[in-house]
Amino acid sequence: MATATAPAAPLTPAVFAILLSLAEGEKHGYLIMKDARAPQGGGLRMGPGTLYGSLERMMRDGLVEESGISDDERRRYYRLTSQGHTVLAVELERLDAAVSSARSHGLLAHGGHS
Amino acid sequence: MMPAAPHDERLERIYAQALRLYPVRFRAAHGAAMRQTFRDALQDRSFSRRALIPMVLRDLVTSLAKEHFAMLRDTFLRPALLFNAVVLAAISTVLAIALYTIPQQVLRQGANDPQIQLAGDLAARLEQGVAPTEAVPAIAVDIARSLSPFVIAYDDQGRPLVSQAQLDGKTPVPPIGVFNYVRLHGEERISWQPVLGHEHGVRIAAVVQRVNGPQPGFVLAGRNMREVEAREQQVEQMAGLAWIAMLGLILLGTVAFGWCTRQKPA
Repeated sequence: MATATAPAAPLTPAVFAILLSLAEGEKHGYLIMKDARAPQGGGLRMGPGTLYGSLERMMRDGLVEESGISDDERRRYYRLTSQGHTVLAVELERLDAAVSSARSHGLLAHGGHS
Repeated sequence: MMPAAPHDERLERIYAQALRLYPVRFRAAHGAAMRQTFRDALQDRSFSRRALIPMVLRDLVTSLAKEHFAMLRDTFLRPALLFNAVVLAAISTVLAIALYTIPQQVLRQGANDPQIQLAGDLAARLEQGVAPTEAVPAIAVDIARSLSPFVIAYDDQGRPLVSQAQLDGKTPVPPIGVFNYVRLHGEERISWQPVLGHEHGVRIAAVVQRVNGPQPGFVLAGRNMREVEAREQQVEQMAGLAWIAMLGLILLGTVAFGWCTRQKPA
């Protein structure tokens, strides 16, 4: 269990969606945006401004990095760092605990989707 | 790659122009990638224009505000810059207090000058045995209106014997504590607001001295402080304006220095 670098507060929807998208592997901006928009990615409508602002802060915090590989000089690819993986795992555990709690209180059907 | 439709090219050009609204450093770092992302979104036929355009417009507004705020925070809320500004503001505050306090004290102390001499002369004459009625000048002074110095002689219990000063037709008497202090220490210099029938708001710069000798008592020499207080108020206003001006200069200097030393695009 990774708790050494647990975030102090829940992640913002944009940061969570980016981490979740990049957990599958390195991707460029539009693919991250598309993943975030999908229901399984959080259903977040995120434009390029929010995406690159979030990516900049996440790179500063050491959660993601540019992979340096690109099929186009304007298209940059990003990937999770080990710290990014850890933070995502901690956030998923937090959400899982919240969902379990909701289930135990009868707010969510067992085995159902939220 | 499929060639872009003319309508898409126009939208992309408009978006490229909108990117100029972002802070320079952010635009230099991400402008090309953002434009590419927008182009990718335009070419993705699964993403309808009716959903894309409003989403991008909303994103422009919110992210522009966010990135400009982040730029301002990074530029002006640097600890070293804030520390310097706070230190300079503290120094200017101390200077402004000194600008008020020093002239105010000089003015206030200067307001006692003629009274010190008058009280000393009158006390000396009374100690020589001159009768109070002869020693105290006969010219009456309405202390609510006149700025002339005046003297009053009191007996050993602090009751007025002879007085030049009148306020509402009565002789003002300072609090008994003043006489008790002077009995022990010989002299006291006070700012005194006599309380009589009507509230005049008159404040007196008074010097009270002990009279020794066969008929002990007290003498008080005083003067209406109206003019002195008006000058003190002018000094206070000037010091206040100087303080505001210094704080304004510090703010301008901090903003200019922060802007000149901001993080620039690589």
